[in-house]
Amino acid sequence: MTEVRLEAATVTVPVDGSPGQRTRTILGPVDLVLAESRVTVIGANGSGKSTLLRLLNGLVTPTSGTVTVDALDTVRHGARVRRRVAFAFTDPISQLVMPTGREDVELSLRRLHRSRTDRRAAAERVLERFGLAHLADQSVYDLSGGERQLMALAVVLATEPGLLVLDEPTTLLDRRNTLRLRSLLASLPQSVVLATHDLDLALHADRTLVVDEGRIVFDGEPGTAVERYLALSDAP
Amino acid sequence: MNGPGLFTAHVPGTSVVHRMPLWLKLVGVLVVGATPWFAQSVWPLAVTTVVLAGVVLAARLPSRRLVRSMRGLLPVLVVLLAFQWWSHDLAYAVRVVLGIVNAFVAAGILTATTPVTDLLDGVVRAARPLRRVVDPEVVALTLGVVVRSVPWVAGSFSSVRESARARGLDRDPRAVVVPTVVHVVAFARSTGEALAARGLTDPADDDAPGPSGPGASSRSAG
Repeated sequence: MTEVRLEAATVTVPVDGSPGQRTRTILGPVDLVLAESRVTVIGANGSGKSTLLRLLNGLVTPTSGTVTVDALDTVRHGARVRRRVAFAFTDPISQLVMPTGREDVELSLRRLHRSRTDRRAAAERVLERFGLAHLADQSVYDLSGGERQLMALAVVLATEPGLLVLDEPTTLLDRRNTLRLRSLLASLPQSVVLATHDLDLALHADRTLVVDEGRIVFDGEPGTAVERYLALSDAP
Repeated sequence: MNGPGLFTAHVPGTSVVHRMPLWLKLVGVLVVGATPWFAQSVWPLAVTTVVLAGVVLAARLPSRRLVRSMRGLLPVLVVLLAFQWWSHDLAYAVRVVLGIVNAFVAAGILTATTPVTDLLDGVVRAARPLRRVVDPEVVALTLGVVVRSVPWVAGSFSSVRESARARGLDRDPRAVVVPTVVHVVAFARSTGEALAARGLTDPADDDAPGPSGPGASSRSAG
């Protein structure tokens, strides 16, 4: 099980045009240890959820404090952290950087398999495992939203990371594809941390964090977390 | 988004063109691209066009893809033909246009009959002597991203134009160009972020610091 540890992790951004380079805190300080199999993160738009997720694979590094994944610091060991932590974005089309799914999976596997033949065989196995072999040679632009999201997951999971981080993965999906994705996520051997506005999905977790104005305002059982989030949202 | 053109995706196949080595295809594209510089009349270019049509047939590439690719280029070619005719003569204008069409189709045949991963392998091999200056994997990745982004940019331009038309602004170039540029920049940024998140921009064999450096982009506050 992958363990993520945040110690007083704070992220600030400079305020444009302010005298003396004033900064604004968009997250933190956050102290957390994430070691559960399924963790969900809920919160309003702009609350800091995405920043929190981006800290986990070093896509964003803390302005102060530390973030470690299996004791690897995300600042000093960024490359090794990203090999352990896969990240899936809301819009899969920005995730798929090659013309077809097969080519994208092969791209993920370039560093693991230098031989072209081995890489092709490994990509074929990944696509079959995700039930996507029949879509492998279609242009990524021809896939439906649900197919694209599944392909994007296959692409980032091809390297078999220990932790999968997903930023609002169901936002662009209809109900059928949301259920398909939910069932896929439940079957994964990886630890999963996902931010979502889908409160049904948020309940399928061992632990839920509620983020509000850059702070973790609740950390615990999913049902109670959802109630806390609804109370926050409904407050005037 | 428009349907796929020749550049959009590899068309799997076992034709002689598909099986041709990458270096031979690249030499072919170079020769086709260089022909207009040496051709003294329209005939070498016309012959090249016929040969390329034969190659498309031999590779069994869907003609609809070729037509779709050409449709996007057509307005540019018409303007170019008119301008070159006006500034030179008709024979010269036809040579210029045929040269562009041939280069476009040759490049399309290359990308349609070669998996991008094979292109990447080829580019990595070709760029290996320059590895002290530039990482061959990064060069190859850049090429792959460019190939994949062409249809996206075309699709984005088309949707922006439709939005401008819906607002009655289709005659105002700013209403089309500015949003397209904004879309393309946002797309480039999200593609860069996706590459960084997958570790594809990290050095191959050692550690690298986080891609964004200390701090974060305010874009990711959501």
